[in-house]
Amino acid sequence: MAIKIKKILVPLDGSKNSIRGLDMAIHIARQSHGTITALTVKSVPGIYAIHPLGFLDFSSLTEVKKFLNEAKVRAAKKGIQLTGKALAGDPGFDIARFANNKKNKIDLVVIGARGRGSAKEIFLGSVSNYVLHKSKKPVLIVK
Amino acid sequence: MNTNSNSFKKILVPLDGSKYSEKALQRACEVLNAFDSKIILLYVVEKSLPINFLDRKVYLEMVRKFGHKTLEKANNVLLKKGITAKIFLKEGNIVKEIGKVIKKEKCDLIIVGNRGLGSVTRFLLGSVSNNLAQSSSCSLLIIK
Repeated sequence: MAIKIKKILVPLDGSKNSIRGLDMAIHIARQSHGTITALTVKSVPGIYAIHPLGFLDFSSLTEVKKFLNEAKVRAAKKGIQLTGKALAGDPGFDIARFANNKKNKIDLVVIGARGRGSAKEIFLGSVSNYVLHKSKKPVLIVK
Repeated sequence: MNTNSNSFKKILVPLDGSKYSEKALQRACEVLNAFDSKIILLYVVEKSLPINFLDRKVYLEMVRKFGHKTLEKANNVLLKKGITAKIFLKEGNIVKEIGKVIKKEKCDLIIVGNRGLGSVTRFLLGSVSNNLAQSSSCSLLIIK
């Protein structure tokens, strides 16, 4: 198998579409014997992102942990290793930054076509559109 | 997870002769090997551009020739790897024609380069790939 996708980034927001993205990523990871990095970005209004206390929002952190765990279980069922990661900030920006960071060695970004903030854009979610434009790595949009 | 619905049975690779589309083709080969799927190559002769500087017929003839050449080249690349491809040459609006082929052939995945020869309406992403991302009904892999 010539496919060289070792590390797949899957941004999750708990929506149905992101779960579909995860399923696709698991499928690809099985083919290429890769690992998955799940990234959840909790959207924080500008000023809190700078303020250290902005990260200490415990009530939503438990929610984040919950669906990262769900993702882990889902991947483990198929025998794929999944590492979860949670950040606070602007979703689009932080996902793109995470993907472009050389330290993370991401080979592919798999993203659902629409997540939570869908009402405004009818066809493609705004976050996926942002990531699509800004990431320097290949992007797979799952519809 | 239903594996059948997730595997890529048919992959569409729209070509335009640019080095980005060649890159997309390379990546398509990798995916092909992994998923054991069929590939469809497509070249669309853009007809909707208003062209006045040359005789329209002559211009279209030139583009058609270029299209055949591009497809042949791509096919040769695939043949060397032992892959047989379906080849289409369509005329009309690029995005619309791609959409039609997807519907007709029931493709599961489109692989495009992030920029082609098309005019750059968006600075970072080519206009065609952007349009596809917005409007296509199947999954899309954008090679950077």
